[in-house]
Amino acid sequence: MTHRERFIKTLRGEPIGGQVPTFELVFFLTMEAFGKVHPHHRKYEQWDQMSENERKLQIADMADVYIQTAQRYGHSAIHLHPNPGDLENTQRLLEEIRRRTGDQYFLTIDHDPTWAIPDGDHMMDFSVRMFEEPEALGDQSARRLEETLEIARKLDEWGHLLDGFCFCSDYCFNVNPFFSPDQFEEFIVPTLRDAIAGAHEMGYYVIKHTDGNIMPILPQIAACKPDALHSLDPQGGVSIPEVRKVIGDDICLIGNVNCGLLQTGTEEECRQDVLRALREGMEKGRGYVFATSNCAYTGLPLARYEVMIDLWRQYGSYDLGLPPQE
Amino acid sequence: MELLEQISENLQKGRAKAVKELVQQAVDQGLSPEQILEEGLLSGMNVVGEKFKKNEVFVPEVLVAARAMNMGTQVLKPLLVQAGVQATGRVCIGTVKGDLHDIGKNLVKMMMEGKGLEVIDLGTDVAPEAFIKTAVEQHCQIICCSALLTTTMGVMGEVVKLAQEAGIRDQVKIMVGGAPVTESFAAQIGADKYTSDAASAADAAVAFCQALA
Repeated sequence: MTHRERFIKTLRGEPIGGQVPTFELVFFLTMEAFGKVHPHHRKYEQWDQMSENERKLQIADMADVYIQTAQRYGHSAIHLHPNPGDLENTQRLLEEIRRRTGDQYFLTIDHDPTWAIPDGDHMMDFSVRMFEEPEALGDQSARRLEETLEIARKLDEWGHLLDGFCFCSDYCFNVNPFFSPDQFEEFIVPTLRDAIAGAHEMGYYVIKHTDGNIMPILPQIAACKPDALHSLDPQGGVSIPEVRKVIGDDICLIGNVNCGLLQTGTEEECRQDVLRALREGMEKGRGYVFATSNCAYTGLPLARYEVMIDLWRQYGSYDLGLPPQE
Repeated sequence: MELLEQISENLQKGRAKAVKELVQQAVDQGLSPEQILEEGLLSGMNVVGEKFKKNEVFVPEVLVAARAMNMGTQVLKPLLVQAGVQATGRVCIGTVKGDLHDIGKNLVKMMMEGKGLEVIDLGTDVAPEAFIKTAVEQHCQIICCSALLTTTMGVMGEVVKLAQEAGIRDQVKIMVGGAPVTESFAAQIGADKYTSDAASAADAAVAFCQALA
């Protein structure tokens, strides 16, 4: 089976045997790992001025970074940050990666139509609108949903090179969600449910990402029927066994290796945390993708990420049974 | 319903315009600005803060309540100054250098203002020196540092160190918070307090200011 096939089976909750799949939503450490600026960090202000040949080379170079990352760290999926982010260049990047790797990897992009926690400058205005202009906010949500579905339709018409969407709007702080469950039901659920259903109709898979303590709104997210939940943030008190108690075993779970600990913990603490995540994730024999509880972000020591991957290589196989509790 | 109770109730529901009108009404009826502040506005924000701690209300409710409180205090501010009413204490708050996240910092600021504290907001990407300079020049009792990133939380330790070097450590309490911050990290860098949520941070700040008074 290819990485892509193993990833898809995992999203479907089917047992795969062998190595549990892994991937990262973002792997920003490309300069340290490969001597290359991450595509998301590049500024292409003169993109339109470039010759076609130069644009082609730039896209090839970005594709190269994504492919090298997946190859070196055994990732089964590649989450792309198309840059420039317009649809045509997204398609070109997808074509380049498919040209070079065929159907080896599961490819995703983000285009979450749902509202995320607004930033500090906008959270007051946004909150006021929730109370004073709920209809207008609803209309805006509907437009955002249509935009996402239009992108999905176009990419489908252009050869369906994309496998799925990873919807990345964050809903939660460590302590609790930004939205109350009632607000979540009113302002998020309809859009999330329709976006997932629309993507599914076109043959895409959907991974729903949010950091923080998702537990108060977990049943509502699950009811929208995503194929997987990412990132199961232990800093927000999220644990795999507790999540499974609430939503059962049929939605794939991704993540849960404590990102903060990778940065600040001792080697031993990190080792124990990685083994715990593997043990809890692999317990059902299916439906788990090994990953950090957010991403390999700028500033994370590469060596720590590599230790995490080494442990995954050593202990992350269904054929070996669950990793030991040391 | 008594006027002050109406102010509190409307504030809890985030009805900013009503709060402003009711505060003006209370002033016109001759109630003291201090009483309107304490028994109307701050009493309403206290209820919101307590409900927030118990997950009975969420951030949007807190924000609209804080907006209503601001509308009410706009009416009261000149009268409070005239009457010589002092804030419960003075805090300088900021997100540490290298970190541009401001959601948590802004929430803590609003909660602290809702407790009657004066808060000097230094914004984001704040150098340790700026925290110390502000605390000294503005006579702050509390320095409040926020960080969302594991890569920036170490700057909080520099703030504690600089406060020691500046000789203000016994006059200023240092509070820390943010997604990756923990109680053990706070203890490790020598900070005085870590809280996991904005409402608890405001409670702790008030307790510090009362103890320092």
